[in-house]
Amino acid sequence: MAESLEPKKIEFSKINGSSLGYFALVGIFAFLTALGIVAYALDRMYHLSGLSNTVPWGVVNAGIPYFIGLSAGSLIVSALAGVFKIKRFKVFSRIAAFFAAAYIVAAISSIVFDIGKLDHFANAVVYFNSSSIFSWNTLFYSSYFVICALYLLVQFEEMERLTRFFACLAVFWAVLVHSGTGAIYSFIYSRELYHSALTPPMFIVCATTSGLGLLIAKLYFTFKFTRRDLEVRLLRELGLIFAGLTAVLGYMLAVEGLEKGYIPAVAPATQFVYFNPYHGIFWSFWLLVIFGIIIPFLIVVYPRTGFDPRFLSLAGVLHAAMVMAERFFLIVPGQVYPSEYLPGYEGESLHTLEGYIVSYTPTIFEWIQLVGLLSGVFLAFVVAAKLLPIIPKKAVVEE
Amino acid sequence: MGMLPLQISAKSIGGGVRGETKRRWAMVADIETCTDCMKELKKKTGNEEVKPPCVIACDRENNVPDFEEKEIDPQWMRIARFKNKFGDEFYVPLLCNHCENPPCAQVCLTQATFKRSDGIVIVDMHRCIGCRYCMIACPYGSRSYNFKDQVEGLEEVNPKVVMRTKGVVEKCTFCVHRIDEAIANGKEPEPACVEACRIYEKRSLVFGNINDPNSEISRILRESVVIQLRPHLGTDPHVYYLPKR
Repeated sequence: MAESLEPKKIEFSKINGSSLGYFALVGIFAFLTALGIVAYALDRMYHLSGLSNTVPWGVVNAGIPYFIGLSAGSLIVSALAGVFKIKRFKVFSRIAAFFAAAYIVAAISSIVFDIGKLDHFANAVVYFNSSSIFSWNTLFYSSYFVICALYLLVQFEEMERLTRFFACLAVFWAVLVHSGTGAIYSFIYSRELYHSALTPPMFIVCATTSGLGLLIAKLYFTFKFTRRDLEVRLLRELGLIFAGLTAVLGYMLAVEGLEKGYIPAVAPATQFVYFNPYHGIFWSFWLLVIFGIIIPFLIVVYPRTGFDPRFLSLAGVLHAAMVMAERFFLIVPGQVYPSEYLPGYEGESLHTLEGYIVSYTPTIFEWIQLVGLLSGVFLAFVVAAKLLPIIPKKAVVEE
Repeated sequence: MGMLPLQISAKSIGGGVRGETKRRWAMVADIETCTDCMKELKKKTGNEEVKPPCVIACDRENNVPDFEEKEIDPQWMRIARFKNKFGDEFYVPLLCNHCENPPCAQVCLTQATFKRSDGIVIVDMHRCIGCRYCMIACPYGSRSYNFKDQVEGLEEVNPKVVMRTKGVVEKCTFCVHRIDEAIANGKEPEPACVEACRIYEKRSLVFGNINDPNSEISRILRESVVIQLRPHLGTDPHVYYLPKR
């Protein structure tokens, strides 16, 4: 069965890129990227974010795990061809590898946008702290980018053995990078809502689902706009992997929530997080569950929509968008809900907001920074499609 | 910005300041006198959020700015009101606990936060990249990020304390500059908050070297039951609280 789905020969080619539509697309993405940089500069100068001393990490910080997730998910699809010798996915391997490399740049840019002292950034390398998980991750991220770039290069050179080697290395590194990113948050033992051994594996699942989901849509639109053939069955197969992993993500979230709610000391915090509709955290979680997990899953498994590339793309985009809510849900509640300094006593600071449930609403300037980074990735892809042979001439299965 | 004195520069990690291993600085706060002081001040001023002399002294000594927006106002020392389900209410000062196992130093990307050999945990703002990971890791909310330039919230500047910049994290240093100056002159060091508390005749705060068995703080810790905040985390805080008697 599988053999019958193998494409006979894959030819990659550059796109023409001379149409008005192409230049319009470049213009839009370039404008949004520039807007993101301007929003960052203004935020640095005038503190236009919703951050505070109680909530020092917000959506720009959430961009780090978000983009890394998209990168890892994209890479895993690319590596399916190399690692598991699933040749029919080879048609997507260059596009997916390119996005993997571009997203990791966006993730590092998120760190750049998030830190307060850009001119001190080199200190992260010069004064490496071996006990800091974030420190390790800066190494992981930069080396991951190099691996992705090399993986793409050996694909261009059509070096089969090296391609397989780099595919395996890249998948191993993607797991490392993602576990490491999850650990940045989940090894924080001072905040009960952060501390969890489940987070790193959940990060890997969530990375794959979001990366895969968005990739389905990107493939659909890329082939549509370049007027190249794309076999729906290939997208359908990706969709099924996506739906299966989305269900695993839902299961992990349920286990996590139930385990936290079982601890009397943490129960009030979990009740607040899951059942208080007057706070954005509640919505971030339930929007993720409904629009990020249940609806995309149903779209894929329901036969009338699961074979339609438009609906598969919708499911992928819905999920990828809601994974941003998942990142928000991971990072913000542990800061918003107060810590108990003295067990058995309720404490409130007279001079700060410690002891109070605080609010954090991301401002438009924070969102624009994220949109800018995402647009930067798409801009790089649109430009690269003209300069490099990354899109196959056709992606069809020969019967 | 010029070079930092070696004592407060992360370059001193490992080397330490000569002779400092003899000392381990710590503080004890007496909850009863602290509560009396706060109740007295509140009654006198009618202000629920009144800053006691220790907090004012800390702010002035260390150039801690005062911003109207509570969300971004840095506080090295602050007062918290605690109550239990039986209605008992008391006040305690909160500040950096100068932990034996500081999570902030553990997570710091650049080793900008470090523990000196005398136990003081400080931030080298020349090395800090402002990632705020230490704020997330600190179990005691003791760190503030400079969203604004410090100068904007200062009426006067104490030239003895190094100014920070926008975009870095800061926190209580146990008045490290006073400590180093006092040691160099063969005197007993006293942080600004402890001095203010003494001048205000409360003596709620006691600061000293717990490696010296003859110090007042060693005697208190030896003879009393004291509380640490969130001791189960294993950070071993070095700000102790004497419970109400």
